[in-house]
Amino acid sequence: MIRKEINKISEVGKALISVEGNPGVALNHVVELLEANTNQSLSFAKAINITEGSTVFQVFNGTQGLSTKTKIRMHEVPLSAGFSYNMLGRSFNGVGDVADGGPDIIFEKQVSTRLDTLNPTVRLVPKQPMWTGIPMIDVFNTLVKSQKIPIFAGPTEPYNRLLSQIAQGAQADVIIFAGIGLKFDEYHYFKEQLSQSGNIDKTIMFSHLAGDSQIKGLMLPDVALSVAREFADQGKDVLVLLTDMTNWSNILRNVANYQDQIPSLQGYPGSLYSELAKRYEVAADIEGAGSITIIGATTLESLEDPVPDNTGYITEGQFFLENGKLKLARSLSRLKQQVNGDTRSDHRPIMTAMASLLADAEKAYEAAEVGAANDPFSQKLLRYREDFIANMEEPFGDSVGLEAALDRCWDILKRHFEPTETGLSKKLIDQYWN
Amino acid sequence: MNERNKKRTGTLISIQDSLVKARFYDDVIMGETAGISVDGKLLQAEVLQIDPDPKNADAGIVEMQVFEDLTGAQIGDEVEFTGKPLSVLLGPGLLTSIWDGLQNPLYKLGEKDAYLVPGMKAPALDEEKTWEFTPGVQVGDEVSGGDAIGSVPEGRLDHKILVPFNLGKCKVETIIQKSSVNITEVVAVVSDIQNVKHELKLAFRQAVKNPIPFKERVIPSKTISTGVRVIDFLAPVGYGGTVGNPGPFGAGKTVLQHSLCKYALADIIIMAACGERAGEAVEVFKDFAELDDPSTGDSLMNRMCIFGNTSSMPVAAREASVFIALTVGEYYRYQGYNVILLADSTSRWAQALRERSGRQGDIPGPEAFPMDIPDQIKGMYQRAGADEGTGGSLTFIGTVSPAGGNFQEPVTQATMDATGGFWGLSQDRADAKKYPAIDPLAYTSSVYDSFISWTDRNKMLQTLHEANGIDQTISTIGLKKVPVEKYVLYQKGQTIDFCVMQQDAFHKLDACTRPERLKVINEAVQKLIDSPIEFGNSEMEDEELKELVKTRFDELRQWWKDWNSSAQSEEEITDLPNKIEQFTLQGEYAL
Repeated sequence: MIRKEINKISEVGKALISVEGNPGVALNHVVELLEANTNQSLSFAKAINITEGSTVFQVFNGTQGLSTKTKIRMHEVPLSAGFSYNMLGRSFNGVGDVADGGPDIIFEKQVSTRLDTLNPTVRLVPKQPMWTGIPMIDVFNTLVKSQKIPIFAGPTEPYNRLLSQIAQGAQADVIIFAGIGLKFDEYHYFKEQLSQSGNIDKTIMFSHLAGDSQIKGLMLPDVALSVAREFADQGKDVLVLLTDMTNWSNILRNVANYQDQIPSLQGYPGSLYSELAKRYEVAADIEGAGSITIIGATTLESLEDPVPDNTGYITEGQFFLENGKLKLARSLSRLKQQVNGDTRSDHRPIMTAMASLLADAEKAYEAAEVGAANDPFSQKLLRYREDFIANMEEPFGDSVGLEAALDRCWDILKRHFEPTETGLSKKLIDQYWN
Repeated sequence: MNERNKKRTGTLISIQDSLVKARFYDDVIMGETAGISVDGKLLQAEVLQIDPDPKNADAGIVEMQVFEDLTGAQIGDEVEFTGKPLSVLLGPGLLTSIWDGLQNPLYKLGEKDAYLVPGMKAPALDEEKTWEFTPGVQVGDEVSGGDAIGSVPEGRLDHKILVPFNLGKCKVETIIQKSSVNITEVVAVVSDIQNVKHELKLAFRQAVKNPIPFKERVIPSKTISTGVRVIDFLAPVGYGGTVGNPGPFGAGKTVLQHSLCKYALADIIIMAACGERAGEAVEVFKDFAELDDPSTGDSLMNRMCIFGNTSSMPVAAREASVFIALTVGEYYRYQGYNVILLADSTSRWAQALRERSGRQGDIPGPEAFPMDIPDQIKGMYQRAGADEGTGGSLTFIGTVSPAGGNFQEPVTQATMDATGGFWGLSQDRADAKKYPAIDPLAYTSSVYDSFISWTDRNKMLQTLHEANGIDQTISTIGLKKVPVEKYVLYQKGQTIDFCVMQQDAFHKLDACTRPERLKVINEAVQKLIDSPIEFGNSEMEDEELKELVKTRFDELRQWWKDWNSSAQSEEEITDLPNKIEQFTLQGEYAL
């Protein structure tokens, strides 16, 4: 098939180009950019804004080296991603090209990257726990199959280590790693970890390294999630690791600014919420098919930053990592109530009781800083707080089963309190205290 | 709207996200809807603005928002204008339905594809289902817009078949006998004063941006039993009232909304899931269907309908979804029913307006929201209200998701200004897992007389306030320097907070407290507040005494918490005030 070609590029910006007039391209459709003389393929680009007078494209490989003479070849299809079981164990870039130096892949099919919304009526209410062996997650914020939940952490926290630890024990058929703006050592770390844990054969890695073209990073979640969705449609339970969505949001911000969009908060476009939601909402347990669980990473300076703030309203909770510990106070699994009612009779009550005591302990800790925690109970609380941080908030180490983790909770309470001080019912105290 | 029956069309000249411009030569009406043909699919759009065409004096340019994904749209694609504004289909079958934001039934669409593909449509209400119609007027009777011409049973409700609101005075020409009909069949013919005949069916379309009128609007006076103690005690809402419910993420807005869905006493609950998580709406229509309606014992879904324009669905339809839900609420209010509309979240609705105004290039107001956002929010809440003329009401409870949890942001501020009630969720309380995290010291309510007297409510509040003050003193100067009497008062406040204001939304008994039980609890609370309690004896050291106070109150709280989750028989229930009396009389020897 002969494809239409034009060369009327009028404007070349940082990640965008404009073409004069109306070349007849449709919204979100793909064109190929070719070197004017040699016809060598330079990049693909996607039409994002079309008017009678001009058309704006996002250029996947960046605009360095493009000129007004560069040729544009029409492809007349929306962006799609290749899909094949042969992708397992392999590495790709943000637009789905092989990136591990291995042989090309013959794709079984092309899947749309439009990420159409799943009809809510074919969603199942999530009811299957995913045990991690991390007491702070399993007891206090149980992870549930098909959940979408990020790790919130400062940029220097070991969030990738936590992500990889959760992935290692994950009960999933396929793991899709989607890394945006990664440093090389992070990419290398994940690859090593997935290999060591024997998971590499069920893993597909999509990676965008810091310094790679921005548009490839911007596209990456859509490509990775579309492939994940195809596996889920074929009945597989898929775990997607999205790291780091703050990097992704920053690319989104840059591109919006290149387009002169009016920013809302801290330069981010007003659509940040919808854009994040479109990706995270791919997580689902699908009736008659498989499931997609998304665990993300969102780095932050402050919880009030637009990216973690918007993310928190979209995802089903968050794991909050601070000083290497998973903090109870700001962590939340919104789906835990779906699964922690039929584990052990003390699961929910002890979770509430310990959280409430910890909140009191935090108050006592603040009071202690001004020398006001001088009564015996405050002293108890302070000792409890230390114990809790050391023995419950530590995410790294040997895997602990749920029963053992719950027993550990009782041990901590017993070390510091009288039964009535815990707020737990007499029935539970009678059953578990001794 | 358009006199000429000619097809009016235009062609696309600009496409950006969900905003398009088209050139037209004929006439275009502000607010009308249009269909855009893209790749053989017809996408729905709404006219936002009409401008002259700088390039062509004979033409004009119309700006539209499109409610579906525009991938594949090209310059030159055809637009056909409908002449009709955005509207909702009103009639029997609304209840138990689950739609997207534009009233497409999601179960019907799900039969075609697991995914919501642009261009998919299905009739809003089941056209095959038949209803037992009983006429209520006779040939020759005079009727006008909003009058009932008959009724059909819809579940337990008597669904009145109304003359469309846009009709004036009419005469009934024909009306069918009692029979089974579906919503596409004509049940009556009426003629207006110009002698134009109108065929009436069980269902009709109503423009969503023109409110359905009140017959006789009054101030809300009857309190809703929501089942949530902190609300019913301190921040009650009346039938027809408005409430803004802001909270940072994780503070418990969703769980509170779900509690209201399950336990608030009303004829009808409408959920507008606007730009929020799909999973939460799914939980409502899949899991709540198995729960019982608190007043009838029916399946809870029989009193509900849901608009699920969730966060990944097209943003432009978010605005529509809230107006559509409001119009359905007004329709049932006009029939005399008490309706509660839960809109989650009005911030997403406001953000949709922000995205749109940004694309339109409007000069932005604070945080880039449109300048007129406060007026738009006020206008929306104003559509709620109580109607003495019909006996119905529409209560509007909107959640607000403030950026950064900061209540000073524009949408929260405008909402506080627009609503009669305000339930502020507190991050600190949520962090301490004190749920519901409505701060008992940060709320407003325009309802005065509620399930307990104004005086009792104030006393309760006073104690919480004082206890909070003492708590702050303890954290700054330490417990040692606080006198024992103050410490007792602090413990009283803690007890009221822990045992009354906090409630376990997932416990079958504790999750919902009805007025009779509230009265018993109030009796106990008032006793606890009023009685000076003597602990120990004069020989005890101050520190020892405080230890004793704490132990006794700990025991009381444990007992009361057990009572919350176990007391069911009348004897067990009335045991609470007795126990408090014993406790206050005996102090140290209590319990």
